[in-house]
Amino acid sequence: MKNLFKVMVIVTVASLLFVSCSKKTEPTAMAEEKKVALKVGMVTDAGTIDDKSFNQGTWEGILKAGDELGVTVKYLKPVGTTEADYLKEIGNLYDAGYKFIVTPGFKFETTIFKAQDKYADAKFVIIDGTPHNADYSEFRAEKNVISIFFAEHESGFMAGVAAALELKDGKFGFIGGMEIPAVQKFNWGFQQGIIYANENFGTTINLDAENIIYQGTFSDVAAGQQLAAQMFDKGVSAIFCAAGGVGVGAINEAKSRAQAGEEKWIIGVDVDQYSEGIYEGEKSIILTSAMKRIDVAAYDMIAEDLKGAFQGGATLTFNAANNGVGIPAKNPNLSADVTSKVAKVYADVQNGTVVVSAEQGSLIK
Amino acid sequence: MNLNSDKFRALWVALISVFLGLVAGAILMALTGHNPFEGYTYLFQGGLMNIERIGNTLATSTALFLTGISVAFAFKTGLFNIGASGQMLMGGLFATAIGLTWDLPKPILLPIILIASIIGGGLWALIPGLLKAKFNVHEVVATIMMNWIAYWTINYTIPAYFKGEYLETESRIIGNNASLRVEWLTDLFNGSYINLGFFIAVAVIIIIAIVLDKTVLGFTLKAVGFNKESAKYSGMNVNKSIILSMMIAGGLAGLGGATFYLGYSSNIQIGVLPAQGFDGIAVALLGANNPYGALAAAVFFGLLHSGKGFMNAMTDVPPEIGDTIIATIIYFAATSLLIHKFLDKITAFFKGGLKK
Repeated sequence: MKNLFKVMVIVTVASLLFVSCSKKTEPTAMAEEKKVALKVGMVTDAGTIDDKSFNQGTWEGILKAGDELGVTVKYLKPVGTTEADYLKEIGNLYDAGYKFIVTPGFKFETTIFKAQDKYADAKFVIIDGTPHNADYSEFRAEKNVISIFFAEHESGFMAGVAAALELKDGKFGFIGGMEIPAVQKFNWGFQQGIIYANENFGTTINLDAENIIYQGTFSDVAAGQQLAAQMFDKGVSAIFCAAGGVGVGAINEAKSRAQAGEEKWIIGVDVDQYSEGIYEGEKSIILTSAMKRIDVAAYDMIAEDLKGAFQGGATLTFNAANNGVGIPAKNPNLSADVTSKVAKVYADVQNGTVVVSAEQGSLIK
Repeated sequence: MNLNSDKFRALWVALISVFLGLVAGAILMALTGHNPFEGYTYLFQGGLMNIERIGNTLATSTALFLTGISVAFAFKTGLFNIGASGQMLMGGLFATAIGLTWDLPKPILLPIILIASIIGGGLWALIPGLLKAKFNVHEVVATIMMNWIAYWTINYTIPAYFKGEYLETESRIIGNNASLRVEWLTDLFNGSYINLGFFIAVAVIIIIAIVLDKTVLGFTLKAVGFNKESAKYSGMNVNKSIILSMMIAGGLAGLGGATFYLGYSSNIQIGVLPAQGFDGIAVALLGANNPYGALAAAVFFGLLHSGKGFMNAMTDVPPEIGDTIIATIIYFAATSLLIHKFLDKITAFFKGGLKK
């Protein structure tokens, strides 16, 4: 009884104390100078802000814009993943004065379709998607929406070339999440990259049809680990994972193999996943990563808007030519020779000497 | 009014729980360097600021009403239903399946969908009910396991039979004739997500309150919950009552699934065990297992969930802290038993004092 009273008193007093102590930190003079009126908001997709993928990439770009361009930034996390939840958070951002809203992922397509009319004086950037209505009968992007796509095939191509050059011979594998265009393009580009390396640099890499698998989800970590284990057992030395959480499972499998002394590699996706694959000291099983520079895209859109050059209504593609895709600048697992060769190939892709197809053609799956 | 009546006491306990929860949330905000008063102002503004936001708050509350009353009903009859999430999913699956398959006019289709969702949830709760009645398997264990069976059933059924055109993880979008959203209501609330589900939920709560308090059936179910042995002694069919209670509870949660997937949302997604099922337990506890208490508690939680985003947008409170604050409030609500005991001691203290 007495103890309960004591606790309550302490709680009350403590809360009052904290209330009086909590002052807003004053922004520094430097930041104050750079402050501009634009407020940039983001609504996260399923998953956390540090998902090493879409949410994180987008947010890092927005944060950079906050630092360098002085815009006010904010992200909101919806309660669920329904259109109602997404639209509610967009409404919250809008009501709070955030009139430039970035949404990562194709799941926002129907949401933005509605939001572009409902919040006509706000600007929207949707990454990897384009606004359409619920039954896909109408595709429409108003003057306040930019849709951004990435040339995943070029990114997969560069990763394929780099990996083939580094390992020279052996078997590769591919694990995809869902069989959706973005993932398929990674796969097709990867295959073309291996073929290119085999033909032009004399490598002998095999990518067999049995080692190209779409798991079906982006979340089944356990299945990813199993698939990777099967491939490694069949003699595959490196797996390209474009599969979200499934890829995390594959990374885990490769890490435990590496700890046991086997030489097994994973090629990361979307962002530089090197740090994800660290199993000992600085050593990582991530050979390289097929990146989509989501952060660059988000940053550029904000920068352009500040210059008054918001390309509303446009569908933009980020590819090698505008440095929107490619492998990381630093790849500790690639030799200097490989890095310089890859840089030459990248330049060829940029200037169009080498063309990577976004179609399946004669490729596997 | 009798100040010592049970209902009055329950109200006090609920209010104290909410107050303590808010204080704890305030401490959390203060600890992370934010102004709690500002935070709460925006939290409540976010849920109530205009007619659209009020509509959204009620829409968010709708599924909570029904899962809350589901859990409360089971509690009243001596059962602990942790399976409201799974029952919601199955209700949602039945409702979505019919909504996507049959093309009937809205006035005919909607009642069929609602009944199907009740049957779906009811059947899902029948199994734990049977296990409890026949083999005395504890319903807590059985209902939790049924949650995951429902989760994986959805995971298989939706992509296999009702897959969206491009999205593997969601069913197709239901047609307007199967949606609980109606235009006049959406317009009335200025584009909000409020739908017929809200009115259905309120009607159901009134019906349940009447059944529990005014009918022989309600009396029997409560008697079995209160004391199984004495109910048996006085000639009641205990096993039948247990099964029936579970089925009614499941049916209510199933109906909640229909209001969520065909009202608030417009399709069903795989890989998500709806949180409303678990929040329903907190709603029932805070509402002291009283149908009208559950109604009030659900509105309160709906308000928190709905206003959180605006608080995050207006202040520097990160979304994760917003979630934590809500969780803290729910936690205090769920531990209302402690407050009951605390009040007991105070009453005893004063009574003891007077005697001396």
